[in-house]
Amino acid sequence: VVVLVHSPLPRLRALIQRCWGRLERGLWPGVFGDHSQPWGPALAMQGLALVPQGINDGGESSAVAPSPLESVVWMAAPKQRRTIEVNRCRRRNPNKLIEIKRNIDVCPECGNLKQKHVLCGYCYAKVKEETRLVRMEIYKKERGPFNAPTVETVVLYEGEKPTEEDEGKRIIERARKRPSWFVQN
Amino acid sequence: GAAWARGVLSWARPERWLASGSLFPLSCIHTSTSLQKIGKWEKKNRIVYPPQLPGEPRRPAEIYHCRREIKYSKDKMWYLAKLIKGMSIDQALAQLEFSDKKGAKVIKEVLLEAQDMAVRKHNVEFKSNLHIAESQTGRGRYVKRVRCHGKGMFGIMKISRCHYFVKLVEGPPPPPEPPRTGLDQAKEYVQQLRNRTLVHTL
Repeated sequence: VVVLVHSPLPRLRALIQRCWGRLERGLWPGVFGDHSQPWGPALAMQGLALVPQGINDGGESSAVAPSPLESVVWMAAPKQRRTIEVNRCRRRNPNKLIEIKRNIDVCPECGNLKQKHVLCGYCYAKVKEETRLVRMEIYKKERGPFNAPTVETVVLYEGEKPTEEDEGKRIIERARKRPSWFVQN
Repeated sequence: GAAWARGVLSWARPERWLASGSLFPLSCIHTSTSLQKIGKWEKKNRIVYPPQLPGEPRRPAEIYHCRREIKYSKDKMWYLAKLIKGMSIDQALAQLEFSDKKGAKVIKEVLLEAQDMAVRKHNVEFKSNLHIAESQTGRGRYVKRVRCHGKGMFGIMKISRCHYFVKLVEGPPPPPEPPRTGLDQAKEYVQQLRNRTLVHTL
């Protein structure tokens, strides 16, 4: 059941608000045609399981039974609407404002901003990109999972030749100049 | 829009009007119906001051920029706007870059756009020599939608949007006000007491 009302007249809006209030409080269970639940007391009271029997008896018993409202736990509800001044005091309290961060520095490599305890985002991104291209070259050689050789890998850039140390290692070639941050050993 | 444009052109370029043989007053005017309403903040960039006299101190450049209908709550955006009020633009960009909020990214874009505008159009020499004089949020258009609960119940939720306004002023940021101490308050109280006089007397 979907009801959307756009700009109702004042009286119609009041009527809808009253209906909505009754729906919310559970005083109108018959709206959606669901009669499975027995109609219980509408107020949010705990500790009252039975429907008060005095309704059916009516005028038979003159003595009033002990009021069922004594052994009841009341739920918390706001008593008064919070004014905008009170709301502002709470929302603009210094403990709710965002604190300025004093741990921002300049990365010595690229000059972008970085946090002191975190890697520089730009440098990390550029290394990540280069690694992705190296892995693409590796994939071209291996052509699938579980084909990694049991020897070490060496990445060589343009104009570089394998040295004596790289005798038995697998060589991955990248068709570009060696980046300054990738030191060759 | 069309009437305003016609009025402007009629006194600005009368020779063009008379040059064309037949009278087609609207043919020279490019009428566009793209923008429904230009907001007040955007119009603040259009004010032109008269030239300054030689002895006057230099008026610092002011750049107004805003972004409309951002998909974010105005109350949450207000915290970010409050954060960067009064900072220099570099410090503001640094704080926003490492903030985890969704609105921080949007405000950063707005600040960069405004900085670019300042350098290109508003005759600002150094792009770092700007500070944020005003930064405010406004309420955008809300849309009501149905939110389904259990047991066939429904609620009406509102999808909120906000505007963000910023004013950059050339120059270093103003020094922050020193916090009011008890001594200041006491002095003000004593001064108030001393200012009392007798009214309607000699």
